[in-house]
Amino acid sequence: MDWKQALITIVSGAIGSLGFSYVFQSPKRRTLINTFGGFVVCAVYVFSDYFSDKEFLIFFFPAVAATVYAEIMARVIKAPATPILACSIIALVPGGRLYYTTYHFVMGQDELFEVTVHQLLEIALGLAVGIICVTVIVHEINRQKFKQIIDVE
Amino acid sequence: MQKNVADKDAVLALALDVGKSMVRCGAEINRVEETVLRICYAYGLKRTEVFSVISMITATVTDNDGVTHTQMRRIHTRGVNFRRLENLNALSRKICAEVPDIAGAREELAAICVENKRFDIFVCMGYVVAAMGFTVFFGGSLLDSLASAPIAVVLYLVNLYVKVNGVNKLFFTALSSAIAGFAAITFVHFGFGHDANMIMIGDIMLLIPGLMLINSVREMLCGDLMSGLLRLLESIVLALSVACGFAVAIMTLGSVW
Repeated sequence: MDWKQALITIVSGAIGSLGFSYVFQSPKRRTLINTFGGFVVCAVYVFSDYFSDKEFLIFFFPAVAATVYAEIMARVIKAPATPILACSIIALVPGGRLYYTTYHFVMGQDELFEVTVHQLLEIALGLAVGIICVTVIVHEINRQKFKQIIDVE
Repeated sequence: MQKNVADKDAVLALALDVGKSMVRCGAEINRVEETVLRICYAYGLKRTEVFSVISMITATVTDNDGVTHTQMRRIHTRGVNFRRLENLNALSRKICAEVPDIAGAREELAAICVENKRFDIFVCMGYVVAAMGFTVFFGGSLLDSLASAPIAVVLYLVNLYVKVNGVNKLFFTALSSAIAGFAAITFVHFGFGHDANMIMIGDIMLLIPGLMLINSVREMLCGDLMSGLLRLLESIVLALSVACGFAVAIMTLGSVW
């Protein structure tokens, strides 16, 4: 593993999270938590990228880490988890891939389009499934609290 | 806590307005539906049906006499504002716990939803820092990262203009990506930056709806198919307009220089 490159990826990803914390107008007292979230997510990403060559898995594990981090932090500081999750995971959302996919489509480069759209779907699915795995478990734990509303129906 | 309120329509209106404000600042649909349900329940309306997609919420309550009340809200513009979302969450928690009178709750809602349409230096700096970070993240050099900063400021200003004037977002997204593309290629041509693609990709992260795409897949996997599909479509259309903008810049300037 190229340690220097890995460090650059992790730090720049965390800086990206810091920026998006303000772009998304997260409360200012959450900035540090969001930035550290980006740091954690990018660190997990670097490791999963090193140990796997399947796009799905490379993005699945950071998504799990991000959601666990956001849920834990949300409980510690008594805030909703979604904003922390969104800011932490922003470095891994397939912005570049989505852009290249649509760019190849607009330019009529069919072969490149096919490759990128495949990667894009795999990444999007990896991230979404990673997030959902954790949220479903958390939701099950929480369910008892608002069972009364469900029972009414 | 729960209490019965005579004016069912006012309760429903309050619940839907809170829901609408939540959708407008980027909440997930199941959260919104749950909030509407909980608020109605807190005011003693035990039978509530609510359905929401990203552009509309509708709900029907049946009171104890069997009379039904239905209202809907149309949502035209959406953005991301987590500070407001958090305040709305706190408000809905407070409504459910204390069941305040409706006029009081409405005042608080209005106070939370005051739209800030002026230049916000923090958000602008957020654009700059994010663009610089992602330029390096995707493999750009430090000089590329510096070059992406002024473009990010322009992107923020265009975004602010769209927000204030309520103009066609797609057109202005395409326009701002074209501007970003032109600027990146020009910067590199004059030696301010090494690789135009790297400068562009840093700024693209600000425009492209990557998070929206992930949320749409998430919603679909959670069973909110309608909302997920609409969000997916919106993100694809937005991404296409970004790509068109950059394609124009690359095709025109790329062949000149």
